[in-house]
Amino acid sequence: MTAAEPAATAADAALGAFPPADPASAPAAASRIRPPLVRPREVFLAGVCAALARHLGFRVGRVRVVAVALVAVAALFALVAARIGWPVSLAAVGATVLLYIWLWVLAPREPGAPDAPRTRRVPIALLLLIAAGIAALATLVLWRSTAPIAPGSIETGVLAAGSYLWSALVDPRDPRFAGWAPRVRAIAAALVGLVGLLMLPQAVIEGRPIVAVTAVVFLLLCAAGLAAPPLLARIVARSAERAAAARDEQRSEIAAHLHDSVLQTLAIIQNRAGAGSEVARIARAQERELRDWLFAGTDPFAGDLATELKTIARELELEHAVRIEVVTVGDVGAIESGALAGAAREALVNAARHAGGDVTVYAEATPDVVEVFVRDRGAGFDPDAVPDGRLGIRESVVGRMARAGGTGAVTSDADGTEVQLRLPRRAAGVASGTLASGTAAHPGGAA
Amino acid sequence: MTRVLIVDDHSIFRTGLRTDLGGAVEVVGEAGDVDAAVRSIAELRPDVVLLDVHLPGGAGGGGAEVVRRSAALLGEVRFLALSVSDSAEDVVGVIRAGARGYITKATSGADVAAAVVTVAAGDAVFSPRLAGFVLDAFGTAAGAPAVATRDDELDRLSAREQEVMRLIARGYAYKEVASHLYISIKTVETHVSSVLRKLQLSSRHELTAWALERRLL
Repeated sequence: MTAAEPAATAADAALGAFPPADPASAPAAASRIRPPLVRPREVFLAGVCAALARHLGFRVGRVRVVAVALVAVAALFALVAARIGWPVSLAAVGATVLLYIWLWVLAPREPGAPDAPRTRRVPIALLLLIAAGIAALATLVLWRSTAPIAPGSIETGVLAAGSYLWSALVDPRDPRFAGWAPRVRAIAAALVGLVGLLMLPQAVIEGRPIVAVTAVVFLLLCAAGLAAPPLLARIVARSAERAAAARDEQRSEIAAHLHDSVLQTLAIIQNRAGAGSEVARIARAQERELRDWLFAGTDPFAGDLATELKTIARELELEHAVRIEVVTVGDVGAIESGALAGAAREALVNAARHAGGDVTVYAEATPDVVEVFVRDRGAGFDPDAVPDGRLGIRESVVGRMARAGGTGAVTSDADGTEVQLRLPRRAAGVASGTLASGTAAHPGGAA
Repeated sequence: MTRVLIVDDHSIFRTGLRTDLGGAVEVVGEAGDVDAAVRSIAELRPDVVLLDVHLPGGAGGGGAEVVRRSAALLGEVRFLALSVSDSAEDVVGVIRAGARGYITKATSGADVAAAVVTVAAGDAVFSPRLAGFVLDAFGTAAGAPAVATRDDELDRLSAREQEVMRLIARGYAYKEVASHLYISIKTVETHVSSVLRKLQLSSRHELTAWALERRLL
């Protein structure tokens, strides 16, 4: 334990503003503040009992027993009330069920990540579907030509429609049921259609207009239910497309605006402030960052040579009075950064530190070889005159390239220094996942 | 002395550039949008127009539109594109319209003056990035140097032109390219001008596809 901890604890206790660190008194503190009334993300039926249990500090099982008992008592009470002719019979059952629905609707789900799954254990759509199936069976069994409308047919329609709606509106968001929601919907629609189909001829033969109308309505519902998903999917896809197009348009509008205003201003600042000044350096770095964001959509974590070189350039421009231009030709974006990037970084650090001013990085990838050239405009130096103790160029550029199976060379004269790096393509790794996009992004790659 | 017209919609930039150019060239006028630029060019007949790529006015075509609308004067007036960025994408449209090169707005006054003189002499001004774009667009790096289906001569670079472009992309000045390849500066300039012509006239798929994508055709 560090010395600071006890002191902090003592201070907290003295202030009384924080719960004391003593673990024994923690439950007492927790019981004072009730957890909020929220339904968990993973629920049994609706999460109402779980929410109540957590909020009140009871066990879930007990709350469930009480809830079921309440409904049972209310139902019993309602039955008795109905028997003796009390008009409150429905309200009595309704009260408990209403409380349940009330909490279901008003108690929010536990907050979490927006894409965190919300699941329930009870397959409501399936239960409704089974109930609809039973009702449909009842319709077929209990069918009497004397009845004004087939018993159970309305129930079948309502239950199947409920199952359909539930699996269409709620289940798609639930990873547990999303898989078979389409099948549930198809069966529900087919069930309604089947009942309608069986009712129709009989109703027509026996001349029962109401049954015939019901049958036709069922058939129409079935058709609608079967046709709706693909139609809806198409509408959703189209509106998503439209939204994406609108987003793109807005983005390019913003890009155009920033291009005409901010980027111009940054360029003017760089020009007016002079190449080597602090202000120009910041403006340059800012410009690069903004430009990358606006146009390239570059992934800063892609481990390819092109991205790596640009990242190194940006970092060095912030630290040193230097302007680094990175030019890439061929599918440099498909080359794993590795030793080439390491050697190039060393060369660039040298150029930024000793030469400054304008530095050009040229990277070219052909099918046989990858080359990187780093050229600065400094006073130059004699590479052979660098003392052995200095690792700089000799070890970290030439040595590194040799170890990687390539070559490194340094030429320097009064006009500047150029570091030349060369690595056979077979010795260079392939950047993961960027091979296809890397070649497609370059016009030359498609020749 | 070379007579220069500065076309840019930012007055601060125009003023700054005018000051920077100093006595090296003669600035005969300024214009802030496409229509004013076309008018001034027809009126003043400058030797070189320093032309911002992004310009308001006209049909919205920016600098490229100015060059196209002044096409009748291309023999007499030369255009040097000024771009806020190094990205070839910004510039190739103006180059293909007829500009003889480009420099970025962050270029120092002395370098701008040098580029103006180069362009006035009928030569082209290539930056490393434009050279890189040319190498990419003509598919030299991809190994299969341009399966020429149409105009052979316009659709690929000669070996020498490729070498020159590669050195420019590596940051070499014309003088350094010349000494590196043991040729005269004049020869380097000839190669660069020839590449510029190909860049302007080639119907290579990459260039036209690029232009189509940006609705330049």
